[in-house]
Amino acid sequence: MTASALTRPGERDRLSTKLSELDWRLIALLSVVAMTGTAMLYSIAGGQWQPWAIDHLLRFGAMLLVMIGLAMVHPKWFFRAAYPLYGLVVVMVLMIEFTPLGYEPAGAGAKNWLNLGFIRIQPAEFVKLGLVLALARWYHDHTAQEARWSWKLIFPVAMIGVPFLLVAKQPDLGSAMIIGLTGAAVMFVAGLSWKVIAAGGVAALVTIPPFVMFGMHEYQRNRVLTFLSPESDPSGTGYNIIQSKIALGSGGLLGRGYGLGSQSQLEFLPERETDFIFSTVAEEFGFVGSFALLACYIAIVLIALRIASLAHSHFARISAAGMTAFFAIFVLINGAMVMGLAPVVGVPMPLLSYGGSSMMTIMIGFGLVLSTRVHRYAELPKGYGLV
Amino acid sequence: MSSEPSIFFSDVNERQGSFLRRTFVVGGLTAIGVTALTVRLAQLQVVQAEEYATLASQNQFNFRLVPPPRGRILDRNGVVIAGNRPSFRVLVVRDETKDLDQTLDLLGRLLPDTVDRRRSIIRDVNAAPRFAPVPVKTDLTWEEFARVNLYANELPGVMADMNEARYYPFGGSFAHVVGYVAKPSDRDVQAYRDRNEEVPQILYNPGFRIGRTGVEKALDEDLRGVEGGNRVEVDARGRVVAEDVGGSRPAVPGKEIVLTLDADVQNRALEVFGEEAGGAVVMDVRTGDILCMVSAPSFDPNLFVNGIPSSMYRPLADYERRPLLDKAIYGTFAPGSTFKPVTGLAALKRGANPERRIVCNGGYYLGRRFACHATHGSQNMREAIKNSCNVYFMTLGVEMGPDAIAEAAREMGFGQEFDIGIDGQREGLVPDREWRRRNPVRGDPMWYPGETPSYSIGQGALTVNALQLATYTARLANGRKAVLPRLIKSIDGVEQGGDRAFADLPYDPAHLQVLREGMEMVTDVGGTGFRNSQLGLGAVRMAGKTGTAQSRNYGSGSRSGAGRPWAQKDHNLFIAYAPIDNPRYAVSVIVQHGGLGGGTAGAPRAREIMKVVLLKDDEIRQRLEREGFAETPEDPGAHESDSLALNAAPAQAAAPAAEPAGPRPYLPASPQ
Repeated sequence: MTASALTRPGERDRLSTKLSELDWRLIALLSVVAMTGTAMLYSIAGGQWQPWAIDHLLRFGAMLLVMIGLAMVHPKWFFRAAYPLYGLVVVMVLMIEFTPLGYEPAGAGAKNWLNLGFIRIQPAEFVKLGLVLALARWYHDHTAQEARWSWKLIFPVAMIGVPFLLVAKQPDLGSAMIIGLTGAAVMFVAGLSWKVIAAGGVAALVTIPPFVMFGMHEYQRNRVLTFLSPESDPSGTGYNIIQSKIALGSGGLLGRGYGLGSQSQLEFLPERETDFIFSTVAEEFGFVGSFALLACYIAIVLIALRIASLAHSHFARISAAGMTAFFAIFVLINGAMVMGLAPVVGVPMPLLSYGGSSMMTIMIGFGLVLSTRVHRYAELPKGYGLV
Repeated sequence: MSSEPSIFFSDVNERQGSFLRRTFVVGGLTAIGVTALTVRLAQLQVVQAEEYATLASQNQFNFRLVPPPRGRILDRNGVVIAGNRPSFRVLVVRDETKDLDQTLDLLGRLLPDTVDRRRSIIRDVNAAPRFAPVPVKTDLTWEEFARVNLYANELPGVMADMNEARYYPFGGSFAHVVGYVAKPSDRDVQAYRDRNEEVPQILYNPGFRIGRTGVEKALDEDLRGVEGGNRVEVDARGRVVAEDVGGSRPAVPGKEIVLTLDADVQNRALEVFGEEAGGAVVMDVRTGDILCMVSAPSFDPNLFVNGIPSSMYRPLADYERRPLLDKAIYGTFAPGSTFKPVTGLAALKRGANPERRIVCNGGYYLGRRFACHATHGSQNMREAIKNSCNVYFMTLGVEMGPDAIAEAAREMGFGQEFDIGIDGQREGLVPDREWRRRNPVRGDPMWYPGETPSYSIGQGALTVNALQLATYTARLANGRKAVLPRLIKSIDGVEQGGDRAFADLPYDPAHLQVLREGMEMVTDVGGTGFRNSQLGLGAVRMAGKTGTAQSRNYGSGSRSGAGRPWAQKDHNLFIAYAPIDNPRYAVSVIVQHGGLGGGTAGAPRAREIMKVVLLKDDEIRQRLEREGFAETPEDPGAHESDSLALNAAPAQAAAPAAEPAGPRPYLPASPQ
């Protein structure tokens, strides 16, 4: 039964209606990617469920339920929660910086975890969610003209800038970059003037090189310089990129076979269960397998954008598109990184890489997208429910 | 709180239109990005696939070198002189130990002596790659080996295995000529670099040894063999995951070297030296084969295989009798009276009559008096050799001049190095006028006649080594050919120089006969070497020549060595050949600071060595069986005053020196 503008009042609020309104294509594609991740984690553990595959599978199962649950929630609740949530995540990031609760995992090089006693979380992940919602909330209340170019844009810029700078200071450059790009993507879809975009692009090109040379920590600069010429230090910082390229290239057209990739099985590939898991797929399933996986990703992005464009409320549109852009940024940056097209920045491949925080953020984001789909006719008045 | 549609038419459409356009752009950009990734994937996985597949297999597979068994060194009869023995050892892999300190604590309980070396073990382990096994202790006893294996499960990262170690079963007997092996040092690595050659990886293998001295060094390349390789699959940390049997190649053992030496003769020679220092060489007078080349005192080369501790090395290096020095080919000495036949030969070649009689009245006068050790009266050449008369040969020498003596000396084998396949020879010095011109005394390049008398009797600047003395004796005994010594009999079954043609000696065989007759008289009744050169083998008798070389200037003091410190005594030499009637073997013995009188220290040793040589010769043995051991009537009680029995160390005294069955395996204790 299709819930349309012509359905009877109350019909759309019924749970069965809402469930039938879910986009099962999207859920199926997300599941395919997560199952591929599970299979790869099983493979690189030498055919063992422990230590990664089982966790990955269970997390995905749990987050699938959370996602469907969130899809049932009316966007007005996200709308109301947007600013408080944003405030909360900014406070959490501040707590890392200014209270003893923040802690740095051994060897991580960045103080980016928050130890709340009962749970340890990486607030940077939730910053992205809070930021997208808060920006969507702000744009919902403003006109197209204001979104294009006006002094009021100071507010969204500040909303992006505060967490960006805090996270960059941790220093978790990868997350900061994602925050910045996600925020920029939201501003873009909200209608930022092309002239401003061009000016921003030029400004970025001018400021990045000096920042790399003088504003970065030693290891961060090394990563960037290594990316530019990985062969200069094959056993040191260039090792990751070189080994990843070997894994990809040795996969060939059809791959070396499931469980038979020497690069990943023998641990030549670094961080093979997280950042470089795409290389494992490419090694074991070849060009055919990795292309199919990329096809899944682009299909997910296009379906999600389509969902965003169908929403009636501006808040839902912007937030769904923002979440999708956030997902797409992950895919593109991680893909470029493992293929040696971008510096190694510690960005996981969504749903494929092992890691709870990343999966949680992504799945909550798609819960929002699905909620947008289910409640695509929902209207949210301007200034509605400030709290 | 209604979710019913509420439509705003004013601004909404503009926002929505803009959003749709921008969403379209975002989708497009993502598609472009993914397309770019796909193109990159195609470039890596399709276009460059082969290149990266090669790199991946280079990552995956490694060659583990397997040291080849070093070639054995055998004596002429196939007795192993240098071989390999299994050695149990304990290795530690740092990567697999949980805690190196704790592991070493536990290991210390099993192998108490590792506790003392703990610091150096930790240093070695830390210097090696994390995954490389480092030997902690080698040459474990079976009990220790079993104990370590028993507790292996409780000692992660500790393993016990077996490899091959170089072993010299005769200890010191062959220490100088065969030499020893040792761990390759930085200098060996540098030597390859200096030659611009690639350093063989096998040099870094903990079990590999390189030849340091003697045959081990000279024929190192042959003995080394070719290392094998185990193709193994490794992980990123270099740990072996699996072995690829198909891709492995076995090690090729080193070549087997057969020497001309005879282990029994060699052992007996070192035995008879006892505590005395010196060198002895035995040579086959027909083929030039060296049956024995020994230097005493010796040392145990097994000590050097795993690195000798300095507490053991220092005494060896500091001992005044120089165990580490090869006195058979490196040590050079004045030949003394053993040189007199050379002077005689030179004179005969220049037309001297061997029957010419020269009167010895106890001294020769040329500016000053050159003493003779007795007043011999009128003698011909044979008698002069028998009596070792100085006056006779001084007279001949001064008449001929030094160049004639030097020529004969060189022709008989002095003043040169022989190609015997090993390093470490010193050619000594045969002086002549030309030499004096190049080495003037206080700026005076003139050879004065006053130098010749000493030269004529084997003193002065003249120095020779034991190998040259043996070669010279062999040539005298051979009578026709200028035989050349040979040490390496075969390499890997290929005969080395067995078909050598020797040049003729530039002497009338009749002249050589005169000198041999003189030497026969030396060992006969009334000769200087009579008492100590009776073989007791019936008609098989030995001819020889005694020699005493001054090791210092006596001035006006007594020549007697008795009561003098060792280092001030004269060198004692003896050369001999046997059998007299059909010369087969020549021997030279130099006893460093052995004391006055060639018959006392050199002759008995030469006799004992010669006896073993003769008894090991089948032809001689058959002859003895045919003719019996009946002693010639002229030598009653020849063994009663056996100076060897008197001089020798208690160990030798215990073994009856006259016992014909002298040879037996013998491991001399290392000098303390």
